[in-house]
Amino acid sequence: MAPLKWFYSFLQKYNKSIVKGLFLTTIVSLLAIVTPYISGNIVDVVIEDKKYNLLAPMIIVIITATLLRGLCRAAFLMTFETASQNVIFDMREFVYKKFQKEDFSFYNRNRTGDLMSRQTGDMDAIRKFVAQTLYFSYENILLFLLALIMIFTVSVKLALCMFLILPFTALTTLIQFKHVKSKFSNIRKHFALLNTFVQENISGNRVVKAFAKEDYEMEKFTIENEGYMEAELGAARMWSIFIPIFEFLSNALIIVLMLAGGIMAIRGEISLGNMFTVNGYLWMLNNPLKQAGWIINDLQHMITSVERVYNTVNEEPEIKNPKKPVRKEHFSGMIEFKNVSYHAEDADIISDINFKVKPGQSVGIIGATGSGKSTIMNLLCRFYDVAEGEVLVDGINVKNLDLYELRDSIGMAMQDVFLFSDTIEGNIAYSRPDCSFDDVVRVAKIANAHNFILDTPDGYDTIIGERGMGLSGGQKQRISLARALLKEPSIIILDDTTSAVDMETESLIQDELGRLKNSTVFIIAHRISSIKDADLILVLDEGKIIEQGTHDELLAQNGYYATVFSHQYGEFEKIKKGGVF
Amino acid sequence: MARNRYDIDETLNKEFNMTSVKRLGHYIKPYSHNIVLALLLRITASAASMLTPIFLMKIMDIYIPMGEEGIPHIIKISIITLFLMLYVSLVICIKTKLMMKSGQGIIRDLRRDIFEHLQELPFDYYDSRPHGKIQVRVVNYINNLSDLLSNGIVNILVDLVSIAVILVYMFSIDIRFTLITLLGMPILFTVVIIVKKKQREAWQKASSKQSNLNAYIAESINGIRVTQSFVREKENAKIFNRMSDNYRTSWLNAIKFNLILPPTVDMISIITTSIIFVLGVSWIRGGSEFMTVGIITAFTGYISRFWTPITNLGNFYNSLLTALSYLELIFETIDEPVVVKDKEGAVTLPPIEGNIVFDNVSFSYEDNIPILKNISFKVKKGDSYAIVGPTGAGKTTIINLISRFYNLDKGHIFIDGYDIENVTIKSLRKQMGVMLQDSFIFAGTIMDNIRYGNKEATDEEIINAAKIVQAHDFIIKMENGYNTVVNERGSRLSIGQRQLISFARALLANPRILILDEATSSIDTETEIALQKGLLELLKGRTSFIIAHRLSTIKNSTCIMYIDDGEIAEQGSHNELIARRGKYYKLYKSQYQFLEQS
Repeated sequence: MAPLKWFYSFLQKYNKSIVKGLFLTTIVSLLAIVTPYISGNIVDVVIEDKKYNLLAPMIIVIITATLLRGLCRAAFLMTFETASQNVIFDMREFVYKKFQKEDFSFYNRNRTGDLMSRQTGDMDAIRKFVAQTLYFSYENILLFLLALIMIFTVSVKLALCMFLILPFTALTTLIQFKHVKSKFSNIRKHFALLNTFVQENISGNRVVKAFAKEDYEMEKFTIENEGYMEAELGAARMWSIFIPIFEFLSNALIIVLMLAGGIMAIRGEISLGNMFTVNGYLWMLNNPLKQAGWIINDLQHMITSVERVYNTVNEEPEIKNPKKPVRKEHFSGMIEFKNVSYHAEDADIISDINFKVKPGQSVGIIGATGSGKSTIMNLLCRFYDVAEGEVLVDGINVKNLDLYELRDSIGMAMQDVFLFSDTIEGNIAYSRPDCSFDDVVRVAKIANAHNFILDTPDGYDTIIGERGMGLSGGQKQRISLARALLKEPSIIILDDTTSAVDMETESLIQDELGRLKNSTVFIIAHRISSIKDADLILVLDEGKIIEQGTHDELLAQNGYYATVFSHQYGEFEKIKKGGVF
Repeated sequence: MARNRYDIDETLNKEFNMTSVKRLGHYIKPYSHNIVLALLLRITASAASMLTPIFLMKIMDIYIPMGEEGIPHIIKISIITLFLMLYVSLVICIKTKLMMKSGQGIIRDLRRDIFEHLQELPFDYYDSRPHGKIQVRVVNYINNLSDLLSNGIVNILVDLVSIAVILVYMFSIDIRFTLITLLGMPILFTVVIIVKKKQREAWQKASSKQSNLNAYIAESINGIRVTQSFVREKENAKIFNRMSDNYRTSWLNAIKFNLILPPTVDMISIITTSIIFVLGVSWIRGGSEFMTVGIITAFTGYISRFWTPITNLGNFYNSLLTALSYLELIFETIDEPVVVKDKEGAVTLPPIEGNIVFDNVSFSYEDNIPILKNISFKVKKGDSYAIVGPTGAGKTTIINLISRFYNLDKGHIFIDGYDIENVTIKSLRKQMGVMLQDSFIFAGTIMDNIRYGNKEATDEEIINAAKIVQAHDFIIKMENGYNTVVNERGSRLSIGQRQLISFARALLANPRILILDEATSSIDTETEIALQKGLLELLKGRTSFIIAHRLSTIKNSTCIMYIDDGEIAEQGSHNELIARRGKYYKLYKSQYQFLEQS
């Protein structure tokens, strides 16, 4: 029931307009009886009884009633459409904000296409319920009850005979309600699978083409496409049994009228006129019954979707802001790792990491692929929490700091460069949307991106593709670097930021970065040239720091660092002797 | 082509015409036997249902007055009704299944066609719009058609039949009244035509806002790491709410138009009824011999039966117009021209040796901004060719042209003497192993990801490829080894690890031409050295292109090409270029620059 309670909390806000809508629905239902009644009277009273002067007022009444009914109907439809849009607007906002707060492990568990389907397909099922099913079921229940009351006033016995249908109806309702559920959750599941597959195919389109795997993708797509169709058809097979049962039950009312009514009329318990009257109300009784199957479908569809959305957003992220965070206006950028270990399936393992950095210092990190370099940085930003030990920034454990203040003080250029399909300016100004254009240009110059940006068709206003498609790797990296610098952060993290940048440009960038004296800088790199000027160099292997010190100290140690150095630059002495330079 | 971003509406620059409806007809056609069968069944069921009022009249008029003797008759007629109703229910069951099969079948076919076409569309198409906007067309837009296709078609056919039947009845009762009733039609059509244009525009706006929202949701999920590290959550929520609100507003604006038609029909119906009452009454008062109470009663009874299916038609028309605004966008994608495609009479490229010739090749992505200018060079089979130069100089473009990811503006590329424009794209790309700059990893096991290069490869071959690229060690350390499931884009792997996996994938394709675009940029030097040793053996006899910034990676290439500003500035072996003391020399020197300073 928790998911429905949760859903109700959104619906509740619009109680007023829903009540208003239901009130209008009531009026429309009542007005629906007026026109046939008066039309009947025109024939009986005006024509048969020759009371011709009553014709004009009666016509005015039916026209007014129809006009009123039309207006009320449009009004309540609009009321429910508006309410439904408002409800899902609120829900979408809630879900969006929740998604924004979720930690990395959430995103490692859930696939993009699946999460998207919560915000699209599931929301649509919920919207449909509020916009249509709510009033529709109310309208039908209302008509049903009205008809029942009318028939009761005519003949209690006949009404009770008709009541015999109700247990069967209730039973069918229950069985359908129970059985269609799994079918609808199967539809939602396959919808998400289809969405996920299409999403990945689109973002992997380059690989698909490069390997000429279009046919293979088509094969896989066909499985998902057919799977979704089968899920829809599976549900249809199920409810195509229940819909006719309801149809039959509603038609059985006519048989009850024929049989019980007929016999009662013969025995003089009711008059022929009574039978006419009951027959007139019969449509009000059996139409709602015919719709019951559809209403149950929509209801169950909504419940399934609400549960799916609820279950996704109901997980509390493991990493969240502490209840009483230590507030800091400004960080000086002093960092200390004390016996830090991290081991989980979703990142490289590290253990016993110890180091200290003073404000304004620079740290270079080097090590094999998968040795845990990025994990250390993710722990500093508190994207993950340490398993053991402490990460201290300005002497305070990051777990006690305000999460957003901490992250806001860090400018990070990630190794997996993600750019948005926005203008270049919009991408650089991502962290400070209100900053001036001059600031954007200033950091673009530091990142050595200004010149190539000016060469693009619309300069800073050029829209770049999703993930920066259309730009070269080095260009993407430089935009991402500019984006990190714009914050003027106390701590800068450059995770493999210049790997795709040519050497000359890199050295220009290095010179610029060297002037940033107010920030503590972390540089993860594979080229010695990128890190050799750092105040501290950490050499990682299999999650442990195996060497640390300055460039010269490490060379003197003659260990891993020195080996890497000789592999990269060993020829230098040789070439020099050969007189190349 | 102008690029699109999440908050720019995609507009359809086409006037409304019936072609979309006609094309939908083609999709409906394969299921026409289902639809016709459903229609016929439905008509028999309606006919059966129409018998019940007659039966009831019979009971009331004949059997009840008979007294006790009427009871067996009543029982008999009730049993007949029972069977009729069972038949009706059976028909509904079969009809529902038939129509769901047709509707969902049509949806599947449409989706298949749009997806199949998307596979053919070039990089450009994907690069110039947010991916969420492509996705929404394949998944969500098509789903919007399901109600229309599953229930709409048969219902509308039934309605058309009943309109025709009722018209016949109406004409047979009174021609004058029928004509008066039909006077309402032109009024209705006028309303429809006035509303139509705005309604279509409104729904197109709504679909475009839905698309924008979808794009933003997709980007927000994909870019979550950036968002969180830049603490942009609040700002993003604001943008999201703005777009969500735009969608809400545009939807509510569009739905308004759908609410116009039903009350209009009601009003027309009631006004024509009133006119008939007034005329009928005055004719009776005037003592017309052609007018009786019976005619008026019967006729007004039929009027409401005439307008009910017309109201249904109106509602159908509404949903058709809504669906069409989606359908037009779906067809727009299916019609998107495939720029890079097989020439007519393109031949299959036979197994190649790997001789490549660039003959005066010029290329630009956008008009007037040339990327490559008159590039000419020759590569012999088995050679390794390195391409260096500043970022954005056109290095990646050169290799993308070999796989014919783009068409040339000018010039030709020959492989073993075949102009690549004259061979089938598939036979060309199948013989290349390309490792792209952005090493894309699919969600799935590591094994599956490597196998993507060659579906027939055995596990041993996959492991062997992984060993050559030095990926084996880290893979077996993961919890399930090669069967470890990685997320989309391999988010739990480091870039270096992703590069190694896509490297293995490229090798597994056993290509004659291997293209490595920054294949090892995020891999540490030690791993790279080990990798290169294994690679050297493997590359024997194969032609390879290597783009790299670490010059140690390319020093041993047969030839090094320095690309600057879309032109070949220098080419030759490492030693030749060093001796030349030009740009390459300067580049080479720059990596030692810091050593000189110290």
